[in-house]
Amino acid sequence: MSRIGVFICHCGENISRTVDVERVAAEVGKMPGVSFSTDYKYMCSDPGQNLLKNAIQEQKLTHIVVAACSPRMHEKTFRKAVEAAGLNPYLCEMANIREHCSWVHENKEEATVKATEIVGMMVERVKKNRVLPTITVPVTKRSLVIGGGIAGIQAALDIADCGHEVVLVEREPSIGGHMAQLSETFPTLDCSQCIMTPKMVDVANHPKIKLYTYSEIELVEGYIGNFQVTIKKKARSVDEDRCTGCGVCMTKCPQKKIPNKFDQNIGMRTAIYVPFPQAVPNTPVIDRDNCTWYKTGKCGVCQKVCGPGAVDFEQQDQLVVEPVGAIVVATGFDLYTIDEKPKGSPIKGYGEFGHGKIPDVIDGMTFERLASASGPTGGKILRPSDGKEPKQIVFIQCIGSRAREKGISYCSKVCCMYTAKHTMLYHHKVHDGQAYVFFMDARTPGKSYDEFWRRSIEEEEAVYIRGMVSRLYQKGDKIVVMGSDIAVGVQVEIEADMVVLATAIQPQKGAELLAQKLGISYDKYNFYSEAHAKLRPVECATAGIYLAGACQGPKDIPETVSQASAAAAKVMTLFSKDQLEREPIVARVKESGCVGCFACKKVCAYGAVEEKEIRDRQGNLIKTVAFVNPGVCAGCGTCQATCPSKSVELDGYTDEQVIAMIEAL
Amino acid sequence: MKKKKMIISQETMDVDFVRKVEALSGTSVRRCFQCGKCSAGCPMATFMEHPPNRVVRLLQLGQWQRILAGRSIWYCASCETCSTRCPNKVHLASIMDALRKLSWDAEGASKESYVQLANKLFLQNIRTYGRQYEMRLAAVFNVKSGQFLKDLMLGPKLLAKGKLKMFHSKNKNMSEIEKIFSRIEAMRKNGEAL
Repeated sequence: MSRIGVFICHCGENISRTVDVERVAAEVGKMPGVSFSTDYKYMCSDPGQNLLKNAIQEQKLTHIVVAACSPRMHEKTFRKAVEAAGLNPYLCEMANIREHCSWVHENKEEATVKATEIVGMMVERVKKNRVLPTITVPVTKRSLVIGGGIAGIQAALDIADCGHEVVLVEREPSIGGHMAQLSETFPTLDCSQCIMTPKMVDVANHPKIKLYTYSEIELVEGYIGNFQVTIKKKARSVDEDRCTGCGVCMTKCPQKKIPNKFDQNIGMRTAIYVPFPQAVPNTPVIDRDNCTWYKTGKCGVCQKVCGPGAVDFEQQDQLVVEPVGAIVVATGFDLYTIDEKPKGSPIKGYGEFGHGKIPDVIDGMTFERLASASGPTGGKILRPSDGKEPKQIVFIQCIGSRAREKGISYCSKVCCMYTAKHTMLYHHKVHDGQAYVFFMDARTPGKSYDEFWRRSIEEEEAVYIRGMVSRLYQKGDKIVVMGSDIAVGVQVEIEADMVVLATAIQPQKGAELLAQKLGISYDKYNFYSEAHAKLRPVECATAGIYLAGACQGPKDIPETVSQASAAAAKVMTLFSKDQLEREPIVARVKESGCVGCFACKKVCAYGAVEEKEIRDRQGNLIKTVAFVNPGVCAGCGTCQATCPSKSVELDGYTDEQVIAMIEAL
Repeated sequence: MKKKKMIISQETMDVDFVRKVEALSGTSVRRCFQCGKCSAGCPMATFMEHPPNRVVRLLQLGQWQRILAGRSIWYCASCETCSTRCPNKVHLASIMDALRKLSWDAEGASKESYVQLANKLFLQNIRTYGRQYEMRLAAVFNVKSGQFLKDLMLGPKLLAKGKLKMFHSKNKNMSEIEKIFSRIEAMRKNGEAL
């Protein structure tokens, strides 16, 4: 006979406001099998947990039900407490009377009845819980980092410095990401290249880091501690081992007018190229769409001039499999574009800003390239249309951001600060020019941030105008900016030479596809979701996968670096043990009933179902049945629902338990 | 009142004027971030077409004509509540002083302001008589401002109470008075006073 203990939590007032917890405790106490029931203000607190532990010992309880919040929140907490009191942790279940009851109801009487029923269901269920032993699995102490921007680089360096191998995968031909594109960084105005490129070199030279550039994640299999990652190395058409990085091929390539994505398409590059001179690795890539050889079969100049004979037109994409134990996702961001968006896109463009038709309306990243000493203009601020120096420059903040109508309701967080930086860079380079900024709010929380913004106004003479711009249009070689100053309450008109739009930060294109490969969740904008916004901000809900940088949401460099180091610390925590303990909520096959149809194998998303032969003593094959590898099984229950002969059962969620719950209603 | 669209460019932003205001008032105009605390506490703000925060905002944009065309600076009572409470140490009362001085110098800009006229006549009287001769002040003010009958009926009442003198009396030390005026004038010329 089971002796069940039921503990009802008030959750401060969250539950007790709408549920009469004392009455629930009294009602539940009368249920068969329940030998103890009580209520407490905060069950998850130390005194609450002690109450639980003492009751187990004093009342000799065999099963526990905690009626409180969602098991996602505190199941682990209470199972740990139960284990500390000497019971098997899987003999403890949670009844959710907060999210499923008190938060969604107003009528106290009805909510109390419902809460009693929810607890009653869990009482019936827990009676049928089995003692489950913890599963241990070995940990592969290697880590995968996806994305070679500042987040990926920092995470990779931190993990590698701890002595663990890191596989760093970058989609572009060089690591560096967006930070390598920036000219200077707020709030100290240090040159981005000067602080970024040494880290890039560290990555290239680190004996523990294996770098895959121009590569993408093809497939991710396995689970925490034991992932198998298939990486597609795209054909570079240049042999990385032979190439010395001399660059002769690039000077001789006849295709010289290809817009360089790294320079926001205002600079040009050749068909065989490195995106920027400080690229790591300094090995060129042939852009096959624009190369004369691939288009016509003639040319081959790069191959002829290459001393070491590194150019290889026949090179094919390669698939490499890497076993890793943990994954850090650091895929970063992409910028919103003002152009009209394709039909059906949830994000809309701006018609009133000229659809990107006015050549001197550029975005913030393009301005960074203009201001960068290694950019296409050598650091001079020049108009893309006629190469003249703009004397009146207008910056407009919140383009795309905070525009619910355009499909983005969040604040992109960095634009206020980088626009302030842009006005300074402009003032330093064009002494007789004047910068104007149209803004809604200046959001500058951060160490030395507000001071930086004020400096752009008080010392660097930027004129900030609170109010948004309604429309831009070309008039001669000027762009007329129609805005308003809401502090004065009048319409404002400026004839500008150049307009810079602070466009919103969006997740990297294809972010959702990678998330699906990794099995991690993402929000409606395709930013990756953390397990808990406050208490587990760098971990995914999927075990063994961690987040760093702007792939999770808009972030500036200091924040990105902090998060990358935090993700690295989480990876190292995982690697500190040789064996990893896993929840034993896994499927089991009743071999006597299994007919070997393997419907379960077909539906298993984790590849956990294997085929097992059953033989008699003489070694004759009797039948082949399904076997679930407990190390791989994620406990989703799909096999249980699929099995036609009802021979698969998920521990903790057996048919018997579910039926008992329904019958209790 | 129809509000004219503001054209902003390096030409319309009169930086020199703003520098003058900053030099005269000894405070920075750019420091203001438009929190509105000055206008919140100003006892005269309800009478002003541009409340104090907007005066500073217009200065930031170099649009002094808009300020001087209005009466805001003349309604300012110099109580200094704004300066005392400003979180950015913008001494708005000094800015108002500087603006009044520059408006005085520019004349034309605030022609419609009777406050300026009244102040001017007041000082002229002091310079001439060494003390105030209210009868003349009121008469000249009414003539110059074109409101001949303004407050006329108040005259007999004030006379009856002895508050208004028919004839002026003169200070005995007129040369000392003149010294004060000429000293201030010299200081102004050297830029030592407003």
